[in-house]
Order: sequence, then structure tokens, then C-alpha cells
Amino acid sequence: MTSSAGELAIQGESDIVAARRTVRDAAARLGFGVTDVTRIVTAASELARNVFKYAGEGVMRWRYLEEGNRSGLELQFVDQGPGIGDIGRALEEGYSTGGGLGMGLPGARRLMDEMEIQSATGKGTTVTLKKWRRI
Amino acid sequence: MDHAISVVKVRQVLMVTMPPDPDDTTVTALQEKVLNAVERYGARGVVLDISAVETLDSFFARTVSETAQMVSLMGGRTVVAGMRPAVAVTATQIGLTLGNIETALTTERALELAAAEPVRRKAR
Repeated sequence: MTSSAGELAIQGESDIVAARRTVRDAAARLGFGVTDVTRIVTAASELARNVFKYAGEGVMRWRYLEEGNRSGLELQFVDQGPGIGDIGRALEEGYSTGGGLGMGLPGARRLMDEMEIQSATGKGTTVTLKKWRRI
Repeated sequence: MDHAISVVKVRQVLMVTMPPDPDDTTVTALQEKVLNAVERYGARGVVLDISAVETLDSFFARTVSETAQMVSLMGGRTVVAGMRPAVAVTATQIGLTLGNIETALTTERALELAAAEPVRRKAR
């Protein structure tokens, strides 16, 4: 039986690799082409690293989407970390509070079709991403 | 160990092969391993073969870019070879430019480039 949803704990650096593998497998099974699979996996890699780097730990959830006659993949990254103080700035290219390139969030947004960020300072961050399959 | 980075010396050039899906520790180790090998073997250049790499995220790209810069400071030349089409599309979309690193389609071509005299760049 193949599942249409799943969850993965992000607790260590090796879980970034695990997240990439899980997402690669899920995206490929849904029928995404190699370029879209690479886009989705790259976005997942950026966000899984953010969870580990900023919050220490969190969860990645994925599920298949069906909407009318289109299907897609949803990824959600949830943590109880420090939260994002200024979401607007965090989406600006080159802005980073963690010594990175500041390309993670803006890059992920460009690679996916939809991205939604919910964050409260001191409470955590939830990033939800969607990619639709072109038929 | 499927995460190992292989470094082989061919003539005056170090051929560095990246595994398909390296973790961050392996990517970070790349830098030290390459710089040490450049010194130990007196290499003229480095070819970084990423033809097996399936995901080039911003962390990986930054490390590659920095490593090339460091090799350049040591007097060597770095050529990145074999980027997959899907990886190139994704990297461009994300805005990764890999700085002013030289690239080549194949490792053979990269080897020729890396073995040539280092390009003298003017200070910016």
C-alpha cells in the first residue's frame, strides 16, 4: 500500500537528507517530471534546514492534493522555534539572521506554486508549500 | 560509505567527485579536504564533478562557491563540471549564480581547463 500523506521528524542534520529523500519519493510517485521533482526537493531542503538551524527541531508533513481535475503535493514545515520577527524581510533576497545567503525562503517561494507562512515570535513557524502538477 | 567525497589526482589536477545526496557535514568537509589536497599534491587546479548531484541547495552552492574562491587564493583554478539540466534550472530560478566560477559540461573539458595556467584576475 502506498500512502498519500506522511510525517517526518526533523531533529538532526541527517534529517535534512531524510526530508529530501521522502519528498523526492512522494513527488516522483505523484508523476512530477525530473525538473519539478528537483525544484520541490530543493525547496524542501531549504526549509528543512531552516527548521533545524533556527528551531533545533520540528516536523515535516506532506500530502497529496486533489482539487477539481488537478493534483499536487503539499509540504508543511512546523516548528516551535523563535519565530520569524519580520516575514516581509525574511522573504527579501539576501536577508538572513542566521549568517546564510538569505536565499532559502525567497528561493523556495519561487520554486513552488504557493507558499504561506504563519509565524509568531517566541511560538514558532509553520510554512506551507504547494506544487501543482501540470497536466 | 556512500557519502564519501572521492579525490583523485590526474596529472596536475584534483578530480573531486561529489556523491548524489550529501549531508551538510559531508559538504562542509569538502572544503577542508580539497584545500588540504591542493597543498599536499601541489595541484594546479581542481575539477569538481557534480554530475551525480541531484539537489544543489543554497548551502551546498555557497560551499562550492567559497571553496573555489579559496583555491583561487592559493593560486589554483576550480572548474565545476557536469551540472544536471534540472539542477541548472532550479539553481537559476532560486537565484544561485555560483559567483564567477568556471563551469564545463563534461569532466574531460573541465580537466583541460583546470590544467591550464590559472587566469589572473584583477582585484575588484
